[in-house]
Amino acid sequence: MGQDPLFLLTKTPISRGQWRLAVGVLVALLAALLVTAPFAQVPLENTEGLLLVYATAVFIVELITAALLLALVSVQRSLAVLALSIGYLFSGVMVLPWAVSFPGVPALVNLSETGLQTTAAIAMIRRLGFPLFVLAYALLKESGPNARPPKGWQQNIIFGSVTGVVVIACGLTWLVFTNDDTLPRFMQDAQKVSAVWNFVAATAAGLSVAGLAVLWTRQRSVLDLWLMVVLCTFLIEICLLAYLSSGRLSVGWWAGRVYGLISSSIVLFAFLSETVSNYTRLAHSVSAERRAREARLTAMEALSASIAHEINQPLASIVTNADAGLRWLARSDPDLSEARAALTRIVNDGHRSAEVIKGIRAMFTEGTQDRVPVDANRLIKEVLNRSLSEVKLARVSIRTEFDERLPLVTGCPVQLEQVISNLIANAIDAMSTITDRERVLRITSALHGTDEILVSVEDSGTGMAPNSKGRIFEPFFTTKPDGMGMGLMFCRSVIEAHGGRLWMSDNEPNGAIFHFTIPSANSPATINLTHDHRWKVAP
Amino acid sequence: MNPDHSLVFIIDDDPSMRASIESLLRSVGHSVKSFASTQDFMRDEQPDVPACLILDIRFPGQSGLEFQRELVKSGLHLPIVFVTGHGDVPMSVAAMKAGAIEFLNKPFRDQDLLDAVHRGLEMSQDRRAEEAMLAELSRRFETLSSREREVMALVVAGRLNKQIAADLSLSEVTVKVHRSQVMRKMGANSLPDLVRFADRLACATTKS
Repeated sequence: MGQDPLFLLTKTPISRGQWRLAVGVLVALLAALLVTAPFAQVPLENTEGLLLVYATAVFIVELITAALLLALVSVQRSLAVLALSIGYLFSGVMVLPWAVSFPGVPALVNLSETGLQTTAAIAMIRRLGFPLFVLAYALLKESGPNARPPKGWQQNIIFGSVTGVVVIACGLTWLVFTNDDTLPRFMQDAQKVSAVWNFVAATAAGLSVAGLAVLWTRQRSVLDLWLMVVLCTFLIEICLLAYLSSGRLSVGWWAGRVYGLISSSIVLFAFLSETVSNYTRLAHSVSAERRAREARLTAMEALSASIAHEINQPLASIVTNADAGLRWLARSDPDLSEARAALTRIVNDGHRSAEVIKGIRAMFTEGTQDRVPVDANRLIKEVLNRSLSEVKLARVSIRTEFDERLPLVTGCPVQLEQVISNLIANAIDAMSTITDRERVLRITSALHGTDEILVSVEDSGTGMAPNSKGRIFEPFFTTKPDGMGMGLMFCRSVIEAHGGRLWMSDNEPNGAIFHFTIPSANSPATINLTHDHRWKVAP
Repeated sequence: MNPDHSLVFIIDDDPSMRASIESLLRSVGHSVKSFASTQDFMRDEQPDVPACLILDIRFPGQSGLEFQRELVKSGLHLPIVFVTGHGDVPMSVAAMKAGAIEFLNKPFRDQDLLDAVHRGLEMSQDRRAEEAMLAELSRRFETLSSREREVMALVVAGRLNKQIAADLSLSEVTVKVHRSQVMRKMGANSLPDLVRFADRLACATTKS
């Protein structure tokens, strides 16, 4: 996995927006709790029929969630996610016997009434089971790649665990249904719970709080965030059912059921929104890639056509002149002056081709424009604006800090733009594999000393290996699989041609910072450079 | 083909290329006149000798082919040899269809260019001979009286003297006199000669 920045629920870092949304959902749920609390004791008679609908909804939602999580397992080979998916599957399967055994329901579906304690016992198994599985997920998720089972196990283990869960659920159901007499007294009657149940509720709440605590300390992904929301909702549900409601089929009890449905659905919704955003991202990246490829192709075609033409012209002239010269010399009375003229033209054409090649090199190594006063802040903003789609695609957040009193610098805007966009692209690349923290691109500008400006481009990426640090500015040295190793060398030669410096330092706690300085327009260094005409970038 | 009485035109915007082709052609004895643009060429007075044109325009595309069409339209029947830096197949096909002799990609072999030029000048020469011949025939035809033209038309149509006499209500003797006048004035030694001349004239008139 390590290298691939997979956009999976278990891999996506938590963004600020997700945090806000999660907190918003919790606040809304708590507000709903406060609104319902005063009416919690009001009984709602004859609502047993709705119970079947409710149970079916929970069953389907939890089954789908389990299936999606199992799909993740098959991709990620993660025991933690497997534990979670088993939790959902177990909870989903157990909701059926719970509903069917509920007092009043068996009559609706032509079954004989079960014992008084059966439903409560199954409810207890669900209540305690689910937070246990979440806790298992939270505890397992930190285990490194070594703890991961080998490849190719997924199918067997998924099949095995699904079968196991179903068998265990059936076994437990059978045990509970046939041994009602020996079960603890959870219920006083069909409506009211006994003191024993309060003990169950407290245990479930304790497990949930433990799960919350472990998740809080180990929160990495969007899934963790939403699982915390799930556990909070679960806690609300437990409180409502055990302490606020006046027993079964009251407003408080039904509100608890609704919270239960919500907590079952939260992860499913997270999955759905992740899928939609992944799909959108995919569509965007496909079209962006196509556009980039087309632009690159067109530019390459235009360039190669123009190079071919520029070189071919003198070449054809050289060949024809040489042919003519040979023919003048081959005549019965060789015409030396004509032959000499042809040779002279060949010499000129040779020089002309050399000029063409020099021009092409100049086109790549230096801008064609003259030095003008440049507002570095505006230049950076323009480059950022242009790379906005890449930044969004790479899920990078941008922070900027511009010194608005920055003096102008003298330089070639095209070249400086290329330097900045190069550094930004490097920073984005360096963060592409980061999944456990926010990807931040920070760009600052400041006055450096009295007459220099300092621009810094920071990333929260992988940083630079110590043995690479000394070499990153060398030509053809690259750490990227498809890199040319020209970018930073180009940047440094441009900055040095502007009389400035470009260097790298480590960012805290992660990543790298690239800094460059350029003398301001009225600094003596700039004026000297202008007089020396030392603007050309070394090829 | 005697190069002394022929002329090769070169249109090329690249001075060095122009000079090199010029030198190559002069080295084998051609007279050459070169221009930097098609406009310069059109402005120039064109001597009445067999000629052919070497046309090189940067990025020829439409402009080269359009110029070719323009030449044909203006009645300047000048064989064209295209020389281009990067001609593609459709372009060369279009040029050849419009009557170009050759489509050479730069850099080309000198013999290919010389052969093409040679062929162009021959075509130009043939064309000029043909045109001169037609002009002479027309001049001779102009000298015929209207009665002689009538007789000539019927003779080449294969009518016998007797029939012509009947057609025109003349005596057979008079027809014979007109007929021998026609043969003399048109410079025809035999009836087939006369028929051929009439054909050429007819062709020329239908063409124009």
